[in-house]
Amino acid sequence: MSLRIDVDRESCIGSGVCLVYAPNTFVHDDDAKAVVVDGAPDDLESIQNAVQGCPTRALRLIVEDEF
Amino acid sequence: MSEQPVLDRDRMRELFDLRNSIVMFTGGNYTDDPYPIWHELRDQAPVHAGTPHELNGIEDDLFFHGLPFPEWPHFTAFSWTACDEAYRNDIVFASSATAVDPEYEGGLRGYESSLLTMGGAEHRRYRSLVQPSFVPAKAQWWITNWMQATVDALIDTILEEGRGELNVDFCAAIPVITITGSFGIPVHQALDVRETVSDPQKMIEFLVPIVEARRDEPADDLISVLVEAEYTDEDGKIHRLSDREIYSFATLLLAAGSGTTWKQMGITLAALLQRPDVLAAVRDDRSLLKPAIEESLRWMPTDPAFARWVAEDIDFHGTHIPRGSILHINLGAANRDPSRWDRPDEYDIYRPLKPSLAFGSGPHVCLGMHVARAEMTTGIGALLDRLPNLRLDPDAEPPSPLGFYERGVMEIPVVFDA
Repeated sequence: MSLRIDVDRESCIGSGVCLVYAPNTFVHDDDAKAVVVDGAPDDLESIQNAVQGCPTRALRLIVEDEF
Repeated sequence: MSEQPVLDRDRMRELFDLRNSIVMFTGGNYTDDPYPIWHELRDQAPVHAGTPHELNGIEDDLFFHGLPFPEWPHFTAFSWTACDEAYRNDIVFASSATAVDPEYEGGLRGYESSLLTMGGAEHRRYRSLVQPSFVPAKAQWWITNWMQATVDALIDTILEEGRGELNVDFCAAIPVITITGSFGIPVHQALDVRETVSDPQKMIEFLVPIVEARRDEPADDLISVLVEAEYTDEDGKIHRLSDREIYSFATLLLAAGSGTTWKQMGITLAALLQRPDVLAAVRDDRSLLKPAIEESLRWMPTDPAFARWVAEDIDFHGTHIPRGSILHINLGAANRDPSRWDRPDEYDIYRPLKPSLAFGSGPHVCLGMHVARAEMTTGIGALLDRLPNLRLDPDAEPPSPLGFYERGVMEIPVVFDA
């Protein structure tokens, strides 16, 4: 099982909510759009909080099964 | 010693009196605990007809965001799910009366064309111009430029006395000096500017020469960022903010950011001081300061209700709300919804961190949330660093919350080992 986090740059307003709940997984680029750090180092609960807390639902967490 | 002049204490007490005539209009004399009624109402239904204060049994005509609007029907949402959904659905739940009725002329005077009331693409475009100055990575810019010296100077004034009052003499001063500082206004004028908060036109007089100067020569401050901000419209044409747009943003920032952070810092400090074991834990392990602040925001948000103007008929969590109504989002009640938090009435800094609605949600989520967090972290952190054995004054009245739409504590009398 692996995780993928999609950022919809159109919806992202750069609120920074994701950086509060998963500070090691998200950073902002110069346009204040969320960018996912390689390996998304925070625990799953923190990442879920970041995704659910996003005020504009710009984040999507996809759990991929590996066969 | 810092060279920063210290603010006039008597004037501070006058300007930041939670029982003054202006705060009275938002329910300043309310001293009951509103939460038991909010629990009851939420248990009965997620959404009720009526304004939040009417539903709490307050008969006075109060004023706040979305109030009084006497000719509009009012509803209030209480559950986590209903409040969260209302914030996120900005098509149905709009941020201004004019989104519903373009002819409407009531409402918040002076703030008609601000980020607060814009919608859709216009709001997105304006917000994207200022958002980069308010991201978490910019917190240190705010702290270094406009917070740290003020915090240090305020502590210097009480350091040798061995006692102090932290609500007005400390918490209230930090946000106003931070914001006016970021405009390029010197500390000695900060209180003159704060006095204009109910008269945006007067505040513009302070801003005119600054905006002009920054257009000539930008400095390392927020007005310079606003002066230089550019956006490209659909036709590829580049726009800059007009002077009027900058004044409008600056007045909104002062109105939205100075009272809220002050009161939330006071609520947080009072919660910690009333729990000496928790305070000691935070002092010893500063990584606990973040959860202590987040828990205060959940447990007792200073502004527990904001409004939205209903642009379409909707059946909303069991209640029919007609177009042309106002929905009040009781985020204070949502933040203690037992379906989301165990033991919701307890201030528990060790509970698992999850998003609350203290800063709202949706496209209008609080722009200043990371600046507010930085102010509270810097202020409370410095008190813990510099005032040994900080504790409530055992001979004084303990702090207790008051207010309805703007909640805070009156006084935080403390003693420490000088």
